[in-house]
Amino acid sequence: MDDHLRNLIFQALDQTISDDDFERLQDALEQHEDVRIEYLRSVGLYESLTEIAAESDELVDRDRSTREAPAQGTSAPTRGVGLDDPAAWGWQRWAIAASILLLASGAAYWFGRINDPSDPIAVDLRPQQVVQPEQVDEPAESLLAGHATLSRSVDLRWSNGSVMYREGDVLPNGRLRFDAGVAEIDFFCGATLIVDGPAELDVESDWSVRVIRGRLRASVPPAARGFIVKAADSEIIDLGTEFAVEVSPDRARVEVIDGEVELRGGRNHGDHLVTGQRQWLKGSQSDSESLEGLSTVRDLQRRREDAQAQQFQQWKTHSQQLSEDPRLIAYYPIAQSQSDRFIPNRAATGSQRDGILVGPVTPADGRFGPASTGLEFDRPGARVRTRIDGEFAAFTFACWVRIDSLEHRYNSLFMGDGYENGEPHWQIHEDGRMMFSIMVDDTPGSGLGPAEDARLHRIYYTDPIWDVSKSGKWLHLAAVYDPQGRQVNQFVNGEQVSSEPIVDQFHVQTLRIGTAEIGNWGQPLRDSPWFAVRNLNGAIDELAIFDVALTPHDIQSLYEQGKPLGY
Amino acid sequence: MNPSAQPNPETSSADQTTPSAREARYSEFVSLLARHDQSIRRFARSLLPSGQGVDDVMQETALECWKKYESFTPETAEDAAEEFIRWACVIARYKVLSWQRDRGRDRLVFREGVIEQLAQTAMRDLSQRERERNAIEACLKELEDRERRLVLSVHAPGESVAKIAEETGIKVRRLYSKVNALRKRLADCVQLRLLEEG
Repeated sequence: MDDHLRNLIFQALDQTISDDDFERLQDALEQHEDVRIEYLRSVGLYESLTEIAAESDELVDRDRSTREAPAQGTSAPTRGVGLDDPAAWGWQRWAIAASILLLASGAAYWFGRINDPSDPIAVDLRPQQVVQPEQVDEPAESLLAGHATLSRSVDLRWSNGSVMYREGDVLPNGRLRFDAGVAEIDFFCGATLIVDGPAELDVESDWSVRVIRGRLRASVPPAARGFIVKAADSEIIDLGTEFAVEVSPDRARVEVIDGEVELRGGRNHGDHLVTGQRQWLKGSQSDSESLEGLSTVRDLQRRREDAQAQQFQQWKTHSQQLSEDPRLIAYYPIAQSQSDRFIPNRAATGSQRDGILVGPVTPADGRFGPASTGLEFDRPGARVRTRIDGEFAAFTFACWVRIDSLEHRYNSLFMGDGYENGEPHWQIHEDGRMMFSIMVDDTPGSGLGPAEDARLHRIYYTDPIWDVSKSGKWLHLAAVYDPQGRQVNQFVNGEQVSSEPIVDQFHVQTLRIGTAEIGNWGQPLRDSPWFAVRNLNGAIDELAIFDVALTPHDIQSLYEQGKPLGY
Repeated sequence: MNPSAQPNPETSSADQTTPSAREARYSEFVSLLARHDQSIRRFARSLLPSGQGVDDVMQETALECWKKYESFTPETAEDAAEEFIRWACVIARYKVLSWQRDRGRDRLVFREGVIEQLAQTAMRDLSQRERERNAIEACLKELEDRERRLVLSVHAPGESVAKIAEETGIKVRRLYSKVNALRKRLADCVQLRLLEEG
């Protein structure tokens, strides 16, 4: 074994090796059996020396006391070098340690998961689940806390100081307060409430809700029978299908629209009401008018469609204006796309930059509902290809995207084919961080990474912007690469989420795109049939690319003009 | 799963019908693990160049081994030891990879190709550790006292060449070359002894 390699091994184990040498050592390890053998021997030597040194406290102490004059020590540490049988000692130590470890870490493993008292799912976990072997290999299961979903809404205006939710959000237990509008709330047990604002509710569990103020209609299918609405001092237990409730500060009443309810608690304890019957739970009984004018599912649906159509129309106007912006490199307002073969580039740069649908791209509802279109990329071959020649001075990418899951390590938004000098990659990491990058120097070997042929580029990350609770929701994402201002800014729903300077080493002045793809990565390795699976599991319904660094204000206004209903 | 099983991990391994059978199985496991812990540790250590993460990997490996112990069924009792190490090392290799993916953000992390190759090579002489250790002890004895103390003191817990250099006033570079020369002598001596033993 040559001395040079041996020194590299020692340096690696001493952790004094340089990056380049470490790469060299790794190459040698990968290629040569005898280097591996030597490396393993050296690890063995290191470990044994460490064990011997640790076991001989005596030696270490004495050594410390003579440290001042290390060259003069002559007394032989004959037994101190740990030459007594360390195996026996180690054995006992391990028998004890191992049993403690099994108990302690087994318990800790689960306590880490079950000591959150607010989590109703986890509390039921029995400690003996510790040993179910199939649970071990899997990453921790993701948990969401909540009892219901805000499934649809119209003109909802949340009260000052209350938590605001958007359509599709999971509702945890706690207070919902809004001053106007209509909300449809789906409880996980299967019951649905249509609530007319102003209203104030307390979501208690999958199976119960307290009405503090407001009017609502509860639909309870057989699967949800037993769902409880609490109003005043009473509990209304559903035994049938549909009932209405109205609660104001001094009055509360219930009316059965279809089916049967039982009242528990309060002054009507034990009463049963059937279709058409009503009862005052609190306050004057004089007024026996029926609960009229309560929104129904159909009302909600109709109002929603109207509002959505109006919003879609407004966006089309904005989109038309936007398409005339001379700073656009390309603009794909997919939401109003008619064709199933290509998506037109609506910017003045023309049809040369149209996008072509390739593979199993499927049309889906866009962010304005069924009237608008999105493109889904959820299968590996799905892609929209485009070709954008030319050189650019800056980049702003902005798109509306619905992410269903981040199922690949990298999930594409927009990617330049070969990732050559000046070309962009815009994607989302599996951990939810948005990544924007530009190739700086595509000469193999110029990179900083461990790979031998690594090329020089720089990835600008955000903190995680997506987790499973955002699955299926529309997000407005933007990334701004500003060579002149030497800054990379990124945005979610109009808000800036990261800002990073471009340092000299990664400064790219001339930007390019060339052939590129929306929702996938075309041909990373041009001379190989293999491709990295990076298709987006989700949909995109608008994408704009500008040859300018838009300001945070510009991005905010793009978001405001393009946001769908319920945002 | 027996619904009345105790919540203690050692009593709840599936398929153990009586408490005493479970207990026997548990002590069998503990004794195998205890006896071969150092070999498995050495294996894991060799895949983690900075040594960082070895404790984590070992803990996860031990836990995983116990959880999967049911599936460990050696052909004969004589084979048990050897097979156990190999079996545990496969788990350890997997734990090293996942440790690196999760936490291995520091500079000295092997790429996966290197880990695979090293693991394969290391699998071949897993039970060498005792012999190697004995050889090292013998070789240490051949060093002069102060040489032996020097080489051991840089390997003592909490020590480093840089620290000792500072405390002794010897230049780091010179100390390194001294220590490395000693390590080479030891390594050669160990190899020779192992060869002679055949």
